[in-house]
Amino acid sequence: MKNTFIALTIVATLTTAACTNLERSRSLGNPAVSGRVLAEQVCSNCHGRTGVSISPNFPNLAAQTEPYLVGQLTEFRGHSRSDPAGFEYMWGLSRHLTDEQIASLAAYYAAQNPKAPPVRAHAQWANAGQKIFSEGIADQGIPPCMSCHGPQGQGNATFPRLASQHSDYLIKQLMVFQRTDERPEGSIMKTVAHGLTEQNMRDVAEYLQTLETPLEAH
Amino acid sequence: MQGTSWEAAPWARHGLSVLLGLVILLLGWYAPESEALPIFARQTGQNCVACHAGGQFPELTPYGRAFKLTGYTLGERTALPVAFMAVLTGTKVRNTNDPNGNSTADFPAKNRSVIFNTASLFLGGKITDNLGAFIQVTNNNYDHLSQDGVTWKNKFYSDNTDLRYADRLIGENHDLIFGFSVNNNPSVSDVWNSAPAWGYDVVPASAWGGAVGKIPQSPMLAGALAQKVVGLSSYAYWNKMVYAEFAAYRTANNSLSALSRGYTTRDQSLPLLSGITPYWRLALTHEWGAHNAMLGVMGLSAKQHTDATDSSSPTWKYNDIGIDAQYQYLLDPHTVTTEVSYLHERIHYDSATAGQPGAYDAAFATTLQSLSNSSDTLGLFRVKTAYTYQAKYGGSIAFFNLTGSYNSARQTGVGSDPTGGDTLPSLSNNITGKPDTRGWTMEVFWLPVQYARVGLQYTLFNRYQGASNNYDGWGRRAKDNNTVFFYVWGSY
Repeated sequence: MKNTFIALTIVATLTTAACTNLERSRSLGNPAVSGRVLAEQVCSNCHGRTGVSISPNFPNLAAQTEPYLVGQLTEFRGHSRSDPAGFEYMWGLSRHLTDEQIASLAAYYAAQNPKAPPVRAHAQWANAGQKIFSEGIADQGIPPCMSCHGPQGQGNATFPRLASQHSDYLIKQLMVFQRTDERPEGSIMKTVAHGLTEQNMRDVAEYLQTLETPLEAH
Repeated sequence: MQGTSWEAAPWARHGLSVLLGLVILLLGWYAPESEALPIFARQTGQNCVACHAGGQFPELTPYGRAFKLTGYTLGERTALPVAFMAVLTGTKVRNTNDPNGNSTADFPAKNRSVIFNTASLFLGGKITDNLGAFIQVTNNNYDHLSQDGVTWKNKFYSDNTDLRYADRLIGENHDLIFGFSVNNNPSVSDVWNSAPAWGYDVVPASAWGGAVGKIPQSPMLAGALAQKVVGLSSYAYWNKMVYAEFAAYRTANNSLSALSRGYTTRDQSLPLLSGITPYWRLALTHEWGAHNAMLGVMGLSAKQHTDATDSSSPTWKYNDIGIDAQYQYLLDPHTVTTEVSYLHERIHYDSATAGQPGAYDAAFATTLQSLSNSSDTLGLFRVKTAYTYQAKYGGSIAFFNLTGSYNSARQTGVGSDPTGGDTLPSLSNNITGKPDTRGWTMEVFWLPVQYARVGLQYTLFNRYQGASNNYDGWGRRAKDNNTVFFYVWGSY
């Protein structure tokens, strides 16, 4: 009797499971799964359902600019972005995304409201960072970040939104730009970040992490 | 099912071990990064670090937990859903001699030898959008001794199995993952490493399976039913905050014996449980920044027949309850995972056992109480912290403390009489009547590539079977069980 019960349960499960459920699929090889479903069922595990991630290992995507998101997913898919965060996590996930899915994912995150995680700002670093962001460091050949990323760090087309991004993620990416060629799409940043000291990076990342810029700023 | 024997000469076994290691390393060296990974990595295309803290087994990341809870269905179904694992080990127990200085039958040959210990085949991964599996079958080259007491026999058997159906309802204000699991080990379905199945002794540390060099007794919840039962579990994880699971198990005999560790239906090693054995689990979880934590409870209640071949034999009732917690910090290049658990068991004996004099009370009159209680307790406390750096280097330290009530009848080996003088005892002899065992395990490891790991462990015992010294009546000390363990682990 018990065996029959277990066997019936298995059969019922298999029968139910045989149907593809496009509204709740975690399949990365099915072009019919929408960007929204992928965002909810797959991407949310690290980036949060609305692109606000808890762990600083994973960037916030909420309110990120659409062209930047399309560019990055395409770069991951083509393996031209090869920093560790890229190939360890994103190469595999993006390998069979279609252009339509990428566009749909980008539109989904670009429309989400950003929310700065509650962080304790290091006031001295944040003040120094604000200065770098607004004025650059002329002596070190560093242009102001806002000249490309927008006065509120809201991003501009392929220049990503930086406001309310995790400082740890920003620092690690600045290191990638400065010290490697793993992000050729952002080669302009190699020049920009060339003269940054590690403290400069900490300063500007601290400022940006606490910068609360609403979606309407785009 | 009795395994087939492998009678290869020692040189051949060593040769095979070395060859296997080389093959694993070479495959890793030449294969493209994203392809050179076991089953789940091939399915998601991701690196080990996505699901495992620092890329190390067994600790899971929050993402790894979500992957498992959603039924291994994230990613793309692979054409060939298989992976392999092989473990080479070397073990050195400090003292394996009997009181006369001779090597004992507990350690016929494999102490101080490097052996090709186990090889596993994994099947599974994504089957459909809602169905996935983790199926492990293992060949243990040193499973048991043949009747001559000298030759080791291998056994090929079902290892951990977890077949899942899962779904996820996610919306603006809710995130509910729920599902069902058919598995053969209570807590193998769990996603935290303080759960008994996944926290401790994941590398098979003992080739001989004897009661030496490891915790001699454990509550049933701590692995006694692993691959000896089959059950159906249902679970739900709500808003990444509350996890609940309820399962019902029965002995893996008759039609379910294929999922057992190679046991036949009437095998004394296969516990015969009466009726359904429920297992339950509750956990609260929280993530903040690079940190995440879990606080949980679990329980199991079983009735086990005293004779595994006789379903009309009396039963002992086991009531197990556990409390556990885990803390994790994950921020490249560092990962820290700390898990702690305390499992408590109360065993109620049948009337024939309870309150009866022990068999050897005359011989041990001065050192042992000889009565069995009507019930007894066991408590197992364990805590472990693991650290990895750059997903390449790491180490762990663990402390364990087994305590329990005094009971001569249940402690192993008490029948050997040191005053008799006619036979030498097994090294697992216990004259204290207590299970108390306490010690530490330390480990360092290194990954030359992400699918190969070399590790060195040292386990030291401050107390063993109730005493620091002379726990067997023959002068054996707790520290005689201290063990150095070396392993090379590879998977492909």
